[in-house]
Amino acid sequence: MNDIIETISFILRLAAPFIAVITIILCFVSLRYGRRSEHALINLEDEEHEICYPVLFWENSIGRSRNSDIRINDATVSRDHAVLLRRDDGWFVTDTGSKSGVYVNGNLTEGRCPVYIGDKIAIGKSILTLRRADASSDIHQRQKRKPRESKTLPGSVLLSFITVYILVISAEAVINMGSLDVVIPAACFILLCWIFFALSKSMFKRKNFELESLALLLSGTGIVLCASHDSHQAIVQLAATAIGIFIFCFIIWFIEIPDRVMKWRLAISILAICLLGSTLALGTVQNGAKNWILLGPISVQPSEFAKIAYIFVGASTLDQLQTKKNLFGFIIVTGACVGLLFLMSDFGTAVIFFVTFLIIAFMRSGNIKTVILAVTAAVLGVLVILTVKPYIAERFKAWGHVWEYAADAGYQQVNTLIYSASGGLFGIGLSKGYLQNVFASESDLVFGLASEEMGLIIAVLFGVVIGGFMIYARTVTTRSRSTFYSIAACTAGGMLVFQAALNIFGVTDILPLTGVTLPFVSYGGSSMAACWGILAFIKAADERTYSGKKIKRHKERKKQNVSYRTQMSDTDTEEYIEV
Amino acid sequence: MKKTRTRSIMVLLMTLAFFAGIIYHISNLWVHSAEWASIPENAHLSDSNGLEIAGTVYDRNGVVLAQSVDGKRVYNDDEAIRKACLHVVGDDTTNISTAIQTVYRSRLTDYNFIFGLGMPDTLKNGRNITLTIDSEVQKAAYEALGSYRGAVIVYNYKTGEIICMVSTPTYDPENVPSDIETNDEYEGAYINRAISASYPPGSTFKLVTSAAALNTIPDVEKRTYECTGSDIVAGKEINCFEPNGFIDFREALARSCNVYFAQLAVDIGKKDMTSQAEKMGFNSYIKFDEIESAKSVYNVSKASQNDLAWSGVGQYEVLETPINMAMISAAIANGGSPVNPYIIKDISLSSDSGQKEHGKTEGSQMMSGDIAKKLYDMMDYTVETNYGKSSFSDSLDVCAKTGTAEVDDEGDSHAWVTGFCKDEDCPLAFSVIVEHGNSGYSVAIPVASAVLNSAANQIRN
Repeated sequence: MNDIIETISFILRLAAPFIAVITIILCFVSLRYGRRSEHALINLEDEEHEICYPVLFWENSIGRSRNSDIRINDATVSRDHAVLLRRDDGWFVTDTGSKSGVYVNGNLTEGRCPVYIGDKIAIGKSILTLRRADASSDIHQRQKRKPRESKTLPGSVLLSFITVYILVISAEAVINMGSLDVVIPAACFILLCWIFFALSKSMFKRKNFELESLALLLSGTGIVLCASHDSHQAIVQLAATAIGIFIFCFIIWFIEIPDRVMKWRLAISILAICLLGSTLALGTVQNGAKNWILLGPISVQPSEFAKIAYIFVGASTLDQLQTKKNLFGFIIVTGACVGLLFLMSDFGTAVIFFVTFLIIAFMRSGNIKTVILAVTAAVLGVLVILTVKPYIAERFKAWGHVWEYAADAGYQQVNTLIYSASGGLFGIGLSKGYLQNVFASESDLVFGLASEEMGLIIAVLFGVVIGGFMIYARTVTTRSRSTFYSIAACTAGGMLVFQAALNIFGVTDILPLTGVTLPFVSYGGSSMAACWGILAFIKAADERTYSGKKIKRHKERKKQNVSYRTQMSDTDTEEYIEV
Repeated sequence: MKKTRTRSIMVLLMTLAFFAGIIYHISNLWVHSAEWASIPENAHLSDSNGLEIAGTVYDRNGVVLAQSVDGKRVYNDDEAIRKACLHVVGDDTTNISTAIQTVYRSRLTDYNFIFGLGMPDTLKNGRNITLTIDSEVQKAAYEALGSYRGAVIVYNYKTGEIICMVSTPTYDPENVPSDIETNDEYEGAYINRAISASYPPGSTFKLVTSAAALNTIPDVEKRTYECTGSDIVAGKEINCFEPNGFIDFREALARSCNVYFAQLAVDIGKKDMTSQAEKMGFNSYIKFDEIESAKSVYNVSKASQNDLAWSGVGQYEVLETPINMAMISAAIANGGSPVNPYIIKDISLSSDSGQKEHGKTEGSQMMSGDIAKKLYDMMDYTVETNYGKSSFSDSLDVCAKTGTAEVDDEGDSHAWVTGFCKDEDCPLAFSVIVEHGNSGYSVAIPVASAVLNSAANQIRN
């Protein structure tokens, strides 16, 4: 009898990574094929020289520079002359400090100036006429007419896979534990997934559910992992996921209008600093870092939420694309955040903020010198701190020598390695591991715990999914509605990847152990909720995220028969429907 | 927006580095997982540290040395055999780092990277290991060493099979003494002295000096000397055990004249002494199967001329492992190159009954065939004239060299003997170390003789 139970558990263990791999492949394939193909939204025609410039993006720099989106080879055009951008209410052109100015229909523009189909924009000696994409005989337009084969998978299919996966790992946990502790959290989680999906489909009219599916896969694994050790933790984690999903939806709504983002920029910077400052003032010290605030029975880690605010502040450039290279204000915010984190002794988060800063600084300025300068300054800063406070170095002494410090500073890493090795590719079974007895096994050591109990394949998939978020964020950089979204998405992806790297490599002794969480998987309510908030930036970068709503709005307007001067070409709208 | 895309390469590179790190972790795990998983701190390993489902360890005759019965690791029924085989077989822990149950634990327990320790017991298929050692000879060696600390190694110089490898102090793996960590009696009990300990070789090192002399000094065999018991070599006095009188090269080895060999070492010089020693296995690890021995050390780079003289008689800072010494004797018996020793006769799945013979491997040449022949005759002559052929059993024709290596200023010394049997049907090379035995002749030779008798009995039958 025992043998039969053991064998069933073994078979379920073999099945779980298999289903997870298939789900992840389906998600990424669907993301890949679901993108908008890059064809012209409108065209700019230079009738005099008979040149047609297809306008591919929502924000386009116009200039003589090689890197311009619309490159006009004319000595009278400045390197970065103007920006042509699309907003919900139409197309606009903004002069970005050119020498000769921008003229629309013969009038010199100042600030953001709306342009309509048929308008003539004078840039240097070139006169560009705004044309609908279907009105020209451009090659891009012909491509567009081809009916595009949609290979996007319906979210319900992906979610069904996830449901099966959760059922498989929960069943295994039930068999191993001989109790039904896992059932309630797992069932609630599955319910949460489907409610989220239903809302996303009906309320927000979103057709894509891949990113959410991937994040749910990780969250679900984390919840079942928690549930098989401590059902209380699983409930916390479940609630945090629900809150996270709410934050996810809220942020997507909030940043829908880039102008609103700009308006709130300062307030949010202050919020980030206040979050960290309040922790320093009111926080309690746990595990050597003062990063918790106790609110009655709930303890919150405000630094996790400060991450969201920080990305927000860093990415919100002015719509005058690439013109405001001044990072001064942002550097002040960064300095304040990192400084506060250092005072809290939360070095892991401090490093995450700093790396995020590097990404944003580079994405905004494109200046590698800035990055090198910042890194040099940071290295010097760290050296100074280490000379003044040498005990900080003590905390990292085990790095690379964990076996020599197996009883103290290297204890967590050594146990992670021993039990990862014991788990093999498929694990020894949920709840049957021993790493659970080591301190912080569900949070800092979750990679090891998953390796031991669920196997190396699932543990590595955590990394693959998080890395995949980043790669996806990069592929949508030119398909987003504004550089704000592109930069925010890359930053968010970079932050998740870096945090995952600190966590995974920290416990496996490739990097020093800093005690940060593994995004979406580690136990920790604040971390879980914040990761969903960060994911919102990646989701928002994909223009399809907002397209569903627009179709709705478009239809409503037609219904009400309100005459409005269409600034968007009809083909644009058609494209939404297509997608 | 093109610019943004270009710049996002930085983040892409970061992600690629992240993936590279994960791949590094996987490969690290791949390489080390067996080692890490079998660390005794691993709570998955029960009292028997995972051995409860491990395969069986046999000696050359199929005698069970260790097996798992009903989830428990049990060893041979005979306590003396258990103690004698401890350092070869190992115990439930991994304290004896060179033991079979430590080095081959993952194969005995069928650990693999794919399933880790997660395979249901019903699907496990541990491997059995057959060793080349003979449990009866082991027992004889253990009893011959008596209360001495020391080690015996005997191996077949034609095939390489290790017949006997015993180290003392030892303990019973079925009743590990509770005071093993504190009681002085068990100090160093986790070390297999035959391979993991190195000692001053004393006069046995004269074989190395002789090989170097034959190689570098023309007509060294005609060199004579009148030994009065001590003399000044390279500025300081060198002593002999007793005055050896008028001696030539052959007689100097037979009577073990320190002054003669000290002078030879000085005449040979540091460079040639070092190169000969290194050819004979010094300054490098000896590895057999997957077991690695300690290093024998010959380093005279900082030695004075007098130190060099002392190094020629196996003192100064010279250290040698018993297995290295046995291999030197094996090389002499085998025409200049030793056959590499090995201990694993066979590893097979418990469900698989096929026996595969271990391939014999030739070691690197230690000396020319010509020099080997001369040393062969000299060791033969040494036994004949100095120890007497009767010190070994009549049925064996043994060539040997003893050593008495001083270990402290009070004249306390380790007793050594190394050598080989000339008999075609009993080609055994051996070395014996008895710590604080004080006399190679009267302490080490009887141990060697007892072990050789037992081994010859077993082999000839």
